[in-house]
Amino acid sequence: MSRKIPLLSPDLRRLYALFLGAVLLLFVIATALTGFTPALFFGQSGEIWKFLSEDFLPPRLPESGRIQVIAEAFLTTLAMAMASTTAAALLAFVMALFGSERISPYPKAARFVRGFATFLRNIPTLVWAFILFSSLGIGTGVGFTALLITSFAFMTRAFIETMEDVSSDCVESLLAAGASFPERVVHAVLPAGLSGFISWYLYCIEVNIRASTIVGMVGGGGIGLVLFSYIKTFHYGIACSIILMVAAMVIIVDQISGRIRKEILK
Amino acid sequence: MAAVLSFKRVCKRYPNGVCALNDVSFEVLSGEFVSVIGPSGSGKSTLLRAANALIPISSGSVYAGGERISDLRGSRLRSARRGIGMIFQNYNLVYQLSVLQNTLHGRLGYMGALSALLGLYSESDKIAALELLDELGLADFAYSRASDLSGGQKQRVGIARAVMQEPRLLLCDEPIASLDPSSSKTIMELLRSLAKKRGIACIVNLHQLDAARRYSDRIIGLSHGRIVFDGTPQMLDAAATERIYGTACENLMTGGSDVPENSATLP
Ligand SMILES: Nc1ncnc2c1ncn2[C@@H]1O[C@H](COP(=O)(O)OP(=O)(O)OP(=O)(O)O)[C@@H](O)[C@H]1O
Ligand SMILES: [Mg+2]
Repeated sequence: MSRKIPLLSPDLRRLYALFLGAVLLLFVIATALTGFTPALFFGQSGEIWKFLSEDFLPPRLPESGRIQVIAEAFLTTLAMAMASTTAAALLAFVMALFGSERISPYPKAARFVRGFATFLRNIPTLVWAFILFSSLGIGTGVGFTALLITSFAFMTRAFIETMEDVSSDCVESLLAAGASFPERVVHAVLPAGLSGFISWYLYCIEVNIRASTIVGMVGGGGIGLVLFSYIKTFHYGIACSIILMVAAMVIIVDQISGRIRKEILK
Repeated sequence: MAAVLSFKRVCKRYPNGVCALNDVSFEVLSGEFVSVIGPSGSGKSTLLRAANALIPISSGSVYAGGERISDLRGSRLRSARRGIGMIFQNYNLVYQLSVLQNTLHGRLGYMGALSALLGLYSESDKIAALELLDELGLADFAYSRASDLSGGQKQRVGIARAVMQEPRLLLCDEPIASLDPSSSKTIMELLRSLAKKRGIACIVNLHQLDAARRYSDRIIGLSHGRIVFDGTPQMLDAAATERIYGTACENLMTGGSDVPENSATLP
């Protein structure tokens, strides 16, 4: 009786083994196709390290004349994230009302609303930024609109789920009481889902603070654009201190919004 | 006496092909207390939701307050619905709002668009709501958040909201299915006394045979979407029960006094 008793059924174990094998195989195929090998990475790591330690470090402060420009750029990035998320949240709320069969006055159209949101969401923010950049040119308008589109699509889906979770039962009871659609929204959907909506909104602000820096680099304005111009002109020390400040900003915003979300969801 | 609700040859077929109501006809008279019993999936909830047009029916007619409710749209439908209160198994309250606010939701259907939207309830509505809450033993909870109440208390708020509609008819979908036996008794007694006092007719879906027997003027038995029994509690004998549930009485857990004494000694 020395055989050990297995904890998994043999079928499940075979499945896990198969899965692991598939992942390994995919890794090998992908490496072969891209021509990238882990060995190369380690071989070149000296150069990467040298670049980081000699060009990027130590962080240097920009000339004093530029400090105001940089501060303004930071504010622009923050404002871009906040403004686009807020506008997106309001639009997404209205859209989400029509995206749930149990809440929308036109249940048959709900599928199309969800499909539309999914479609928008599956195009990355950066791609939107490129598309808009080509038509609008450099500017915060590009960043604002690109962030607006993706966070609108994301929050529409998130709000629909929140509504179906917490509001559809009480919406039904108000429907049975003879309340009109706007009344059902104000007296049931809104109070029941409010904490959920705010929580998603704050989460989206966190995401967009990060994204607005990146979107800025491809023409969306704000600190991303400033950072990119320093990198392009080989001012790596200054770029490094901007990157550190961006990280600090992201951490601070995450902390604040995380704290608020915890309070709200209590 | 006038009928407050009548079903005439109603069929309901869901889009997936399930025939949940099959040629159902009955009338509910003013002030009558009717229980609907039947096994799971027999169409009880479908029947209630057809009564106030929460779901469309496939054929036949449902008349409520003299109107063919399946023909109504928009504001005419809303004013037909406000005359029919509904009570849910899961209470369906807005838990973030106060008990008083939830109770006053029953008045929304009567208010002008703007005042309803802004929640500007009249003082007389508020007084009526507080008196009703007092009658239901919830006077001390008027300003509590609905989420802080026990199940039995939540259901009483559900009843208060429905009664605030000044309905001719109450539809109750398994109002006691989530409650303990003692709260269940309170709810059934409150429901019956409130309804009798105000002359409101009630249709109550029940899984508890003993409650159906004890509180109803009349029992309707559904099986596979058809009415297989319609009569007084006294007429509901073993044969009728078997027709409804498709199995002999001994195989049913009917609750209450039907449970043999010695079963209490089982672990
Ligand atoms: N939205 C729906 N779509 C499709 N089929 C449905 C839907 N709702 C109910 N049904 C089906 O219709 C039949 C009757 O359902 P109904 O909910 O009315 O039964 P019930 O008597 O209330 O059951 P229970 O006692 O479990 O609540 C069931 O077979 C059910 O599967
Ligand atoms: Mg049911």
